[in-house]
Amino acid sequence: MAWGCLGPRLARVVPVVHTERLTKDYGPVLALDSLTLDIGPGITGLVGANGAGKSTLIKILLGLVPATGGRAEVLGHDIGSDGAAIRAAVGYLPEHDCLPPDVSASDFVVHLATMSGLPRVAARERAAEVLRHVGLAEERYRPMGGYSTGMKQKAKLAQALAHDPSLVLLDEPTNGLDPAARDEMLGLVQRIGRDFGIAVIVTSHLLGELERVSDHVVVLDGGRLLRASRTDDFLDATGVLIVEVIGQDAQQRMADALTGVGVMTIPRGSVLTVDAAGSPDLHDLIRDTATDLGVGLVRLHADHRRIEDVFADAEETSDG
Amino acid sequence: MADPSVATPAGRSVIHDLGYRPYTGPRLGSGPIARALVGTGFRNTFGLGRSGRSKVLPFLLLGLNLLPAFIVGGVMVLVGLDELPIAYAEYASTTQVLLGIFVASQAPVLFSRDLRHGTISLYLARPLRSDTYALARWSSLLGATLLFLVLPVLVLYTVALLGEMDVSDQTADAAVAIGLAALLALSLTGVAGLIASWSTRRGFAVAATIALLLIGNGIVTAIQEIAREEGQPQVGEVAGLFSPYSLYRGLMASWTDVETATPPTSTAMEVTYLVVFLALSAACLGGLVWRYRRVATA
Repeated sequence: MAWGCLGPRLARVVPVVHTERLTKDYGPVLALDSLTLDIGPGITGLVGANGAGKSTLIKILLGLVPATGGRAEVLGHDIGSDGAAIRAAVGYLPEHDCLPPDVSASDFVVHLATMSGLPRVAARERAAEVLRHVGLAEERYRPMGGYSTGMKQKAKLAQALAHDPSLVLLDEPTNGLDPAARDEMLGLVQRIGRDFGIAVIVTSHLLGELERVSDHVVVLDGGRLLRASRTDDFLDATGVLIVEVIGQDAQQRMADALTGVGVMTIPRGSVLTVDAAGSPDLHDLIRDTATDLGVGLVRLHADHRRIEDVFADAEETSDG
Repeated sequence: MADPSVATPAGRSVIHDLGYRPYTGPRLGSGPIARALVGTGFRNTFGLGRSGRSKVLPFLLLGLNLLPAFIVGGVMVLVGLDELPIAYAEYASTTQVLLGIFVASQAPVLFSRDLRHGTISLYLARPLRSDTYALARWSSLLGATLLFLVLPVLVLYTVALLGEMDVSDQTADAAVAIGLAALLALSLTGVAGLIASWSTRRGFAVAATIALLLIGNGIVTAIQEIAREEGQPQVGEVAGLFSPYSLYRGLMASWTDVETATPPTSTAMEVTYLVVFLALSAACLGGLVWRYRRVATA
C-alpha cells in the first residue's frame, strides 16, 4: 500500500459502532432486545438466522428507523440526531436487488456518488476508480439489466464505495453467487477491510464464509447478542475431525478398524466424526487405516463449526 | 520502487499502481445534493441519461404538443392575421390529452422506478432525508410538466410579437396563461406523482393516471354540457371542482376572455376553484412526502 495512509484512517474510526441497550419494539415483534455492542475497525461478520435482527440493526445504524429504546453511535455520530452525517460517511450494500436495468453501472455509480455529496467531476473520477477496484471493466458502459448476478453484486459494491466511506455495511454480499464469484466477492471484502482501510460490517447466514474473511464475528439471535468474539475463538473450538470414505461397506469397516486401534468414531450421516483431542498423529493414522482397508478416503478435515453449533452451545449454557 | 514525483527517463515507462486512494475533496450538503437530484430527474423525464428507446415517447409528445403552435405561427406569417387564432390559455386545454399522457407516462420514471427496482434504499442510505427525496422528485416532474405547458405559450407569444401585435396586451395574456399553467402543472404533478409512488408497476400507474385525469375530465365535461343544456349551470359549476382540467377551464373563463360551458359565476366560486386547485396540489404533495416516509421506515 502506497504512502502508508492507513494509520490515521483507522485511528479516526474507533469505535466504529457502539450500541447501548438498543431496543426496537415493533409491537408484535421485539426486533432488537436491549442490544449492547461494540464494533471496532477491521472486518466484522454479523451472523444470525432470518429475523434475528440483522436488517433492523442496519436500518437503525443508518438512522432510517428510530430505535424505541437505548442509544447508538456510528463513527462517533448519534443515530438519533446525526443520521445525515452517518449516511454521508457510510456505504451500504443491500441484500435485495437495487439496480435499475436500463442504466449503465458507470452512470449509476456516478449518480449515486453525487447523491453522497461528491461534486460532479469528483464523482466521475471516483466511479471510474471503484469500478476498476471491484473488477467491472468494459461492461460498466452496458445497461445493468444484462449483467450476471456476480456483476450485479460488483456494481452494488461499487456504489457502496463510491464516496469513500469510513464504514461499509454489506448485507449478504455473496447471496446467489456461484462458488467462483463468491470467492471473488469475499476477496474483495477482505481487500476493502485490509487494503482500503475501510471498516466493514458484513452479514451472512453462513458462518463458514465469514470466518474466512472477518476479524470478529457477532452472532445475533432473536434481537439479542448471542456472542461476539474474535473469529479465531470460533474456530479453535471443536477439535473434531470429519472422515468420509467410499467403497464396499466402507464406513462400517473404517469405524471398526479405527475402534480396533483405540479411536472412537461417531457416524454422522454419510461421514464419521472423530474426537481428535490429544492425538496429534490422528491424520496419519486415519490415512494409513484407510489404505490398509483398501477404502477410498474422500475427505479428512477439521470439523468447521457452523452457526447451528453456536446456537446449540448457547442453549446448553442457558439450560445448564 | 520508483519515485512517482520524478520524471520517468525516456524509453523507460513505469506503471504505478496507486492502490486505493481515499477521497479528500469536498463533500456537499443536502442543498446541492437535492439540486443534483432534481436536475437528473428532470433530464430522465425526457429520457436523457436513459436508454435511447425511452427518449421516443416524451419527445414525440413534446413535438406533437408544439406542432399546433408552429402551425399557427406559419398561418400567421402567410395570412397575416391581426390576432392569434387560439388564446394562450386555451392552448393547454386543447392539447390536454397529450399533456395527460405525458404526465401519466413520465411520472413513473421518477416515482415507480426507484421503488420497483429497490433503488430507493440506496437513496435512503445517503444523506438526503426521505422528505427531501420526495420533494426533489416532485420538483423534477413539476419542471418537466411546466416546460411542456409553457413552451407552446412562448412559441405563440414569439409569433404574436413578430406579427407586431400590441406588446403589453400580449404580455399580460401570456402571463395569465403561464400562471394558469403553473396551477395546472402543480395539480397534475401531484396527482400523477402520488399514483406512481403507490405503484411499482409502470403500466398500472400510467393507466390509473390517464383514467383519473382524462376519464374524470370527460365525465365532468359531460355533466357541464348537460347542465348548460338543461339550464342548470350551477350544477356544472360545482362539477367543475372535481377535475384538474375543469378547474383550469373554470379559472381560464374567469381570468381571460375564453368562454366555457359553465364558468364560475360568482367571486366566491372563483375563490373556491382556486382554493380547491391549490389544496389538491398541496394534498398530493403531502401524500407523497408521507408515502416516502413510510417507505423509509418500512
